[in-house]
Amino acid sequence: MTNSSSVAPEIQFANLEQQGDTAQLGIWVFLVNETIFFGALIFTYFVYRISYPQEFAAAAKDAVLWCGSVNLAILLTSSLTMVLAINAGAQGRRQEMVTLLIVTAALGCAFLLIKGYEYYLDFQDHVVPVVDFATKPGEGSAGELFWIFYWVATGLHAIHLMIGIALVLYMLLWRIRRGEIGSAYYAPLEVVGIYWSFVDVVWLFLYPCIYLVGRS
Amino acid sequence: MSIGPDIHPKRARAAPFVIIWAILLVLASFKVLTAFLGMGVWAPIAQFGIVAIQASIVFTFFMRLKGSPSLKWVFAVSGFFWLSFLYGLSMTDYADRQGWPPIYTSDGPSFQAHQNQP
Repeated sequence: MTNSSSVAPEIQFANLEQQGDTAQLGIWVFLVNETIFFGALIFTYFVYRISYPQEFAAAAKDAVLWCGSVNLAILLTSSLTMVLAINAGAQGRRQEMVTLLIVTAALGCAFLLIKGYEYYLDFQDHVVPVVDFATKPGEGSAGELFWIFYWVATGLHAIHLMIGIALVLYMLLWRIRRGEIGSAYYAPLEVVGIYWSFVDVVWLFLYPCIYLVGRS
Repeated sequence: MSIGPDIHPKRARAAPFVIIWAILLVLASFKVLTAFLGMGVWAPIAQFGIVAIQASIVFTFFMRLKGSPSLKWVFAVSGFFWLSFLYGLSMTDYADRQGWPPIYTSDGPSFQAHQNQP
């Protein structure tokens, strides 16, 4: 098993610190792409919400508020455990790092379980466009636009979260187990942490779009 | 001079991050509250204002922009910079459209009703 202190930088880098900084800039470049990706989706949402405010308010009443709210708390907590795991790794507390990463992955899985249950409730409520959609009073035909946004946005977010969970498990089962992550070099964990927190930020923006429309 | 806790991974303590997490949850509660206060058109404005604050906190502390080199800030902000072009240029289309946003009539939203206004 290698030791993080014996990890050597790749040939194009002068030292591990430069390699780590470059990796972080790389993930930020990717997140710029993700910002525009989700930002364009939310722009579309706002165009239609401004066009059909009453229909959107009527359609959003079927959104399951408790599922979205619990998931928001879960994701914020998972961001905390992720950042604490990075701190533990950087400070050489290996067991604490592993425990916190397991908790982070578990919270991510809990989010997906609640989301899956919410999808089940959505099928029960007949709010699945094209597949099984029943227009409720006050929704008109524009109410289906809200639910199209809902399924596309939450589906894409769930896929991003699954990728995040896979990355955390890769860190745990491959990099950390082989001793490649430790106080001497923890940049890969920081990269995963930045990605994880961004997935959290996306849910922060999606939450009021979906769950807080027309509640009063 | 750096303001606030030291969040470098090698020196950071857990307490500041727990406090930040609690602040994020409190802000989330306010966000939910705005939906039930009957604020009308101000509700989404307040909600997304709170979201912007939450996102800034996550970017600064959880994603560790605080204390980072300026280059990382440039990369982080550039996404929203380019997004502003997408929003701004796309809105020039909608802002120039007659009949948008629609006026609600007895038959529902009408994109033509503006043209009948005196």
